[in-house]
Amino acid sequence: MKKIIALALSLLMVFAIVACTAAPANSGSDKYEIAMVTDVGALMDKSFNQGTWEGCEAYAKEHGLTYKYYQPANGSEATDDDRYDAMKAAVQGGAKVIVTPGFLQGNALEKAAKEFPEVKFIFIDGWSMGLDNVSGIAYKEEQSGYLAGYAAVMEGYTKLGFCGGGGGTNPACCRYGYGFVQGAEAAAEAKGVDVEIKYTWQYGASFSASPELQTMVGGWYEKGTEIVFSAGGSIFNSITAAAAANDAKVIGVDVDQSYESDTVVTSALKGLTASVKWALAKVYDGTWAEISGANSASLGAESDAVGLPTATWSLKNWTVAEYEALLASIKSGAVVVDNTLLEADAIAAQPFKHVTIQYV
Amino acid sequence: MSFLIRETLVYAVPLMIVALAGVFAERSGIINLALEGIMIFGAFIGAFFIYEMQMNEVFVLQSGAANWGTMQMFVLLTMLVAGIAGAIFSLLLAFAAINLKADQTIGGTALNLLAPAFVLFFIRIIANQDDLRMYRGDAASWFMLKKSFFGLKEADGFFVNTFLNKVYITTYVCLLLFVLLSILLYKTKFGLRLRACGENPQAAASLGINVFHMRYAGVIISGFLAGMGGFVYALTTSNCVANGDVAGFGFLALAVMIFGNWKPLNIAGAALLFGLFKCMAASYSTLDLDGNGQYLLLNLSKDPVWGKILNANFYRLLPYLVSLIVLAFTSKKSRAPKAEGIPYDPGKR
Repeated sequence: MKKIIALALSLLMVFAIVACTAAPANSGSDKYEIAMVTDVGALMDKSFNQGTWEGCEAYAKEHGLTYKYYQPANGSEATDDDRYDAMKAAVQGGAKVIVTPGFLQGNALEKAAKEFPEVKFIFIDGWSMGLDNVSGIAYKEEQSGYLAGYAAVMEGYTKLGFCGGGGGTNPACCRYGYGFVQGAEAAAEAKGVDVEIKYTWQYGASFSASPELQTMVGGWYEKGTEIVFSAGGSIFNSITAAAAANDAKVIGVDVDQSYESDTVVTSALKGLTASVKWALAKVYDGTWAEISGANSASLGAESDAVGLPTATWSLKNWTVAEYEALLASIKSGAVVVDNTLLEADAIAAQPFKHVTIQYV
Repeated sequence: MSFLIRETLVYAVPLMIVALAGVFAERSGIINLALEGIMIFGAFIGAFFIYEMQMNEVFVLQSGAANWGTMQMFVLLTMLVAGIAGAIFSLLLAFAAINLKADQTIGGTALNLLAPAFVLFFIRIIANQDDLRMYRGDAASWFMLKKSFFGLKEADGFFVNTFLNKVYITTYVCLLLFVLLSILLYKTKFGLRLRACGENPQAAASLGINVFHMRYAGVIISGFLAGMGGFVYALTTSNCVANGDVAGFGFLALAVMIFGNWKPLNIAGAALLFGLFKCMAASYSTLDLDGNGQYLLLNLSKDPVWGKILNANFYRLLPYLVSLIVLAFTSKKSRAPKAEGIPYDPGKR
């Protein structure tokens, strides 16, 4: 009797496995035209991936296109192969455009783009690689970081902190950090105050939250740091946890994170959603060549791709009008933010007049 | 100093309580390798309970400083729920190890593999993302005890700052449970019987003790504590986020249990030692050890000579290095329960 049951169960299992693997191949109608392959971290990370995803979703819905996201295997430890597999899965799933946020996807994307020249790739935070079917879209994060640093000091904070993700190797995070310091310096100059900034790349290398990061930032707040700029996806969780315990403040990153935690004063935005829509439109309206191949886009204040969310910020001493004025002078080129990629200790060694950087 | 003690407890308390969970199972004769898995499961159930409660606005009106007492009840309730979930989850191990006489190491490993997969599967369904966060607010602003709650806003004493400010009630509940359960294990009839089943179950059975029941009791208590410890970990160190991961604290707790020689007092010492160095490694940049306004460890790491060795990486190595050194001196006396890992066979003598 037992043997018969066991046999029946194993047959059932085999059937289930066959059914599972066979299903996608049969259903030809389930094609997804716009695909997104996620960067490290969760899709709904309330930050980088989510901003991109919302852009894909919005464009697809407006134009009645099908869309889907693919997550590379192994999460934060995804290898180039995992990412490539996800892209290949997207192509097999019928993708005509693949949106890939995150510069880490570069190697996988190059391989996939060469193999599938008929598929267009939008590479957020990336470069075009000289391939006609790849469009690299970079941002001037330094301008966004500059605005955040400027706002924090103008608001009256003099003890700042910066926690970056990617261990100091992620260009976007590096630009945020350096811009933040420059903004603080400019505002300190304008106000005639001295500013201290604690600056670290520790614990955020995989863009994930960790107890150690929470303890470290908790120690900063305990010793007087008033506001910390969290530039790295889910490390935000650890930093807000530490801030909430100390009734201190946080600056969010990439998207408006004020909905996430009451500790968020403002967020250094990059217009992910808007620019993903913008780039997708270029795929469909025949102007793709403008942003692909030898051309790539670097979006900053002049294309409204960076800024602070004035509607939801809780700044009291720095007005929206003053913000608009500063943004306008960045747009016009009157204020230029240096975007050199500097190592953290090189930033600390810069001859700032009003800012002291303590590199941790 | 207050900061260091507070943060040390944050690391040490989940380790202590989960290591004690291991002791209860192993003292009854069942190796509980599944501590990590049970913690993950408990953390998920705890976070999910809070998420649901918040979503259904059960405690919304009570959030904030004025009603901190209610919020503490909410935390205690969640601890209980996470504990019960852990106990139920551990029944899988108990059933495999006691009824089916399966290999306990493999059973535990299976649970460790099952828990993150199971948890992530449900988190995806519930939250459509890889982690389950609180429905609103931050853990600290909802559940943390602050000195202003006790009307001590101005007080600046060492005791108040260390033990009544920026702490979670879970810390004290766990410490209390730790003491009570240690007494249960060593000073009561039940504790003696439980330990007997881990040393020589046949002898215990010959005196009329039901070994099956005792082992079930050991595993269930173990599961309860580990599940609760998982939630405590999520609440105090990760903003009440469940993501199918407890940063290896379950395995660390196993190590602490062996390090502490299966004895509660030694375990407490081992957990505190480990927690202290872990905390020092994380907060070295703002640690004023001798109270002179200088951050000694940070200065050392910046020093051109000392900094080559005494830098962030070295500090992060310290907790493990210190544990190894202490083990080298103490491991000779280490003695595991004799019958642990061996399925009970009444016919064997």
